[in-house]
Amino acid sequence: MRADLLLLRWRDPLAAKCVGGGENHLTNKWFNPLLRKELRQRMRSGRTILALSLYLLSIGVVAFVYMYVNVQGQTLILQPARTAELFTFLSYLQLALVSFVTPGIASGVISGERERQTLSVLLTTPLSPVTIIFTKFISSISFLLLLIVMTLPLYSIVFLFGGVQPSQVMAVFGMQVITLGAIAGISIFFSTLLRRTGWSTVFSYATVALLFLGLAVFGYLFDSIGLHNPEESLWQRLAGICFALDPIYVQAGIESSLGLLSPVINQSLVASVFSVVSAHSLMKPAAWLFFFMIYIASGVLLLLVSAWRLRPGGFTALRKRIVRWIAQ
Amino acid sequence: MTALIRVENLGKRYGKVTAVQNLNLDVRAGTVFGFVGENGAGKTTTLSILATLMLPSSGRAYINGCEVTTEPALVRRQIGFLPDEFGVYNDLSVREYLAFYGTAYGVDGHLLERRSTELLNLVNLEERAEDVVNSLSRGMKQRLGLARSLMHDPPVLILDEPASGLDPRSRIEMREIIKGLRGRGKTIMISSHILPELADMCDEIGIIQRGTLVACAAVEVMNARVTGKRHLLLEVLTGGARLAYMLGHLGDVAEVLKVEESRVEFIFSGSEAEQVELIRELALSGFQMKSFQELGGSLEDLFLRLTADGDAGRSAVVKMA
Repeated sequence: MRADLLLLRWRDPLAAKCVGGGENHLTNKWFNPLLRKELRQRMRSGRTILALSLYLLSIGVVAFVYMYVNVQGQTLILQPARTAELFTFLSYLQLALVSFVTPGIASGVISGERERQTLSVLLTTPLSPVTIIFTKFISSISFLLLLIVMTLPLYSIVFLFGGVQPSQVMAVFGMQVITLGAIAGISIFFSTLLRRTGWSTVFSYATVALLFLGLAVFGYLFDSIGLHNPEESLWQRLAGICFALDPIYVQAGIESSLGLLSPVINQSLVASVFSVVSAHSLMKPAAWLFFFMIYIASGVLLLLVSAWRLRPGGFTALRKRIVRWIAQ
Repeated sequence: MTALIRVENLGKRYGKVTAVQNLNLDVRAGTVFGFVGENGAGKTTTLSILATLMLPSSGRAYINGCEVTTEPALVRRQIGFLPDEFGVYNDLSVREYLAFYGTAYGVDGHLLERRSTELLNLVNLEERAEDVVNSLSRGMKQRLGLARSLMHDPPVLILDEPASGLDPRSRIEMREIIKGLRGRGKTIMISSHILPELADMCDEIGIIQRGTLVACAAVEVMNARVTGKRHLLLEVLTGGARLAYMLGHLGDVAEVLKVEESRVEFIFSGSEAEQVELIRELALSGFQMKSFQELGGSLEDLFLRLTADGDAGRSAVVKMA
């Protein structure tokens, strides 16, 4: 029967490319046809332009109001501490907005295809499930990255006043990119697992809430238990893990180590965060490394599981192949 | 002729429910195979397994010699699949839609352009090439789906209810396109509820009921051997009631189905020669005949009988097959 395939290959140049010809067209996995289509569809939509404009406008307005309130009557006085404060404020605003936007974008990428009844046809193409999932991930991420990059000119206002270095901005942005990548991975996982986009979105937001608020609550809980417990170190270690996995505290740790966040900023909430950061040594690179590793690993793992889940009976097919291979 | 689609003892279970059991069939290269069955009979499950969208619980299925569970990537490159319900990317243009699937299969450059144009001509959508898919009617989207399934020029086409929900004109257009594809040497497996249309375009028919293939044979063989009966319509100028009375007393007329002033429908169980003799006798008896035609409902009758008779009807057909 392989002779038939060879004949087919000879008869049709397309078949030569297709049948047993590998995935030449997919060698550049980061710019495959699906990615082209996704980007084209996303950027063509009027809603995208509206979302980008609203995002930029909301961050811009907030930044302007914050600056106006803080520097009124003193615009000519150089105040690096105030600029750092503004940067911290903006970066947290961005973290909150991106965390809010990411599930909205990524939680429907697969369930949406299923609801539009385009998934079955997509799965009969030579695009592998891994390619489909990672392409969907990249297309979601690229839009979110665009959101972040778009705000860079806004941050340049901060540079005008001094007090913040570009490398510091990059460090915080890097942490945010990893956070949104993990959130996108979680959202795509739910999108693959659940049939309805509505449910996928609910679960994604619930997970984001758990990461941002739930971990903080658990952290404070473990901390308070640790105060009245002989095994204080164990509870504190648990609290440390919770805080080290919470993007709010990790960002605070990075900003603190860069000298952007300090008790000089006289605000009770910031002071509270700073006390946690210093108590659990979150300004040390080891804590960030732990965060980066866990977030990157869980993001990649969830995407791989999604790819397995996408092809019906992915595990069964593998098991059958192994059984037949052993039988032979 | 070799079988391009081969199914061996195929079975599929969803928990305790058996959707398909011990299904065996061969579809020869260059033929059109019609797959008939009631809703829930197992047609879509079988076609989904062949399209690598589902794994069988037992048995094997091959497309051009490639096994669907162990060589799905090879299978996918050799099939064009049109599901019963499918969506389209509404915000792409017709040409972009085809280009996306073409490039997904590795068709690019001049070949992509040439094939898109050819297929748009084939499905009569050349004038809508630059329009947004969303602006197409359901029938047009269905034809676009067919063009999409042909972008990589697969030898095998698997079409699940391609004419469902279409108006009569679109159904006829779809049927003509499928006939044209048979002429191009494609091997086509098609499921449908519109049995007369299947009889018109298929070489072989398989009838599936509750997951089991109850009949599988060439259309003519099925009609002749199983029923031995034809559904005929006779139109006369006047005297329909008298004609019906006369037909009712002929031994070869199994049943008179419908009587009107100028037309009579009846089931004729005689041979073709006896049918010719009947026409001659009626003419000699003074009936002024306007037309005499064999209706396409015979396969439908067969289907209804097979799926209604249960085990008795099934065993009769299995023997025939």
